[in-house]
Amino acid sequence: MTTRPLPEPDEQTAPFWEAAADHVLTLARCARCGQFSLPPDVVCPHCGTTDPAFAFTPVSGRGMVRSWTVVRQAFLPGFDDDLPFVLVDVELTEQPGLRLIGRLLDGADAPLEPGDAVRLAFEDVAPGVAVPAFELTSP
Amino acid sequence: MTGRFRAANQVAIVGYAQSAIERHADQTLGALAVETARQAIADAGLRVSDIDGFAGATLLPTAGGHRVEDGVSIVSPNWLAQHLGADPSYVAGFTGVGQIPGSVALAVNAVASGAADHVVLHRALHNPRAGYHDNSMRAAAGAQQWTAPQGYFGPLAMIALPYNEYLQRYGAGRDEMAAVVVEARKNGARLPWSFWHDRPLTPEDYLAAPMLYDPVCRFDCDIPVDGVAAFVFTTAARARDLPHRPVYVAGYGMSGRVPPRLPLHWPLDDILAGGLETARRLWVHAGIGPADVDLPQVYDGFSPFVWWWLEVLGFCPVGEGHRFVADGGIDSDRPGALPALSGGGALGNGRMHGVPQMLECYLQLSRRAGARQRNATVGVACHSSPHFGGAVAYSAVPV
Repeated sequence: MTTRPLPEPDEQTAPFWEAAADHVLTLARCARCGQFSLPPDVVCPHCGTTDPAFAFTPVSGRGMVRSWTVVRQAFLPGFDDDLPFVLVDVELTEQPGLRLIGRLLDGADAPLEPGDAVRLAFEDVAPGVAVPAFELTSP
Repeated sequence: MTGRFRAANQVAIVGYAQSAIERHADQTLGALAVETARQAIADAGLRVSDIDGFAGATLLPTAGGHRVEDGVSIVSPNWLAQHLGADPSYVAGFTGVGQIPGSVALAVNAVASGAADHVVLHRALHNPRAGYHDNSMRAAAGAQQWTAPQGYFGPLAMIALPYNEYLQRYGAGRDEMAAVVVEARKNGARLPWSFWHDRPLTPEDYLAAPMLYDPVCRFDCDIPVDGVAAFVFTTAARARDLPHRPVYVAGYGMSGRVPPRLPLHWPLDDILAGGLETARRLWVHAGIGPADVDLPQVYDGFSPFVWWWLEVLGFCPVGEGHRFVADGGIDSDRPGALPALSGGGALGNGRMHGVPQMLECYLQLSRRAGARQRNATVGVACHSSPHFGGAVAYSAVPV
């Protein structure tokens, strides 16, 4: 069992983590304007509604690498055995500017370029808990 | 804010004090703050009973979940006023980001409006004994549920992503970053109060340091310290009767709206676009432009900020900061260069969070820099990220 910090779902985010456990990426979509927000907030940053009634909607999980870093020292518990590992900053295809950060599961030495295509992968970190990650899409 | 600062040149810094900058001070942070404030008030030729305003910011900039205790790990303006035995009519704490320019704005606005006659602005930084950013978090709640379970956490990861994004986009390299850090440490080594006094860094040492979060090594990060600085503000009219040459506040610019992001996610485009707006606000507010500035003091809590501040302030084109510095553009010993880290910055002093930039502007423009005295008239002191911070313009004579 991992000692990594586990997500603590709340009333708003519970559907996200339930879908993630089934390896489905969902994103919060405003019921008023239809735009995605990551993370979802109290007010929709796109249309300003205070009642966004966010619905977690399945998305493709495809995206493009905008940046990355190789983590060689972890400040959180549970990651030491995985060092070094790569974190990628990914712009998802669903909406311009929609960015998600996750571990790249191709290893610390995987060659990377800005614009590389990635797709969602999930790490099963505890029973019923999966965390979004990425892997390179084979060209 | 649509035009020039109505109180430009009406408020001045008239005195200062700074403690030693050490990894761990012998004294409690609160005691150090009281002593430093007393020295600053005396330096300004004033008594505690003259001080009727206090301003400051208290952020303890660690991800490590250390205990925040007023007088011990932070010192609030309220705490300082009470323990100095002052009787203030105005006390204000800045809670935004860009703690030094934000606090300066509070102090200047208070003096300009007459809310207070003499304001002490202070900043007290603490280095907790346990690992600075180490965090034993087992459950990631709130905004951190979106990042911490993936291992995205803390300011080194935060800066590594846009730093690498810049290297990739503009073909920059760590060999060029060596020029930034070596310049900061060269200037810091000349300061008796600096943690890095007499300890310059060579490019070889910089490049040999192991990566922490590629492309960030430990020399790209300012070192956590205990230290306190205090400055005294009053009106330009009152400043004429005080012992030191006043340094006027011409104006300030604070960063504005940024796109909603994951916690600690600062994409390069946010930094540059937001930073250009911060700089535009500064120039409009202060009524000057980059060509008027002979003492820019850019923020360098992480080394890439130096490139970005130079670019957004217009000292070189966006994407050219790495070449500008590598070509000697900020070499404080080169005639005609912009001495943008002459005060040593955070990399050359320790994690004093915008204080070294402000202090260098004050010392040089009040002509109190001693053997380091430069012929400068207009300074800009930056703090934090260009898109998530601010800058203050100072001048030796009203501009």
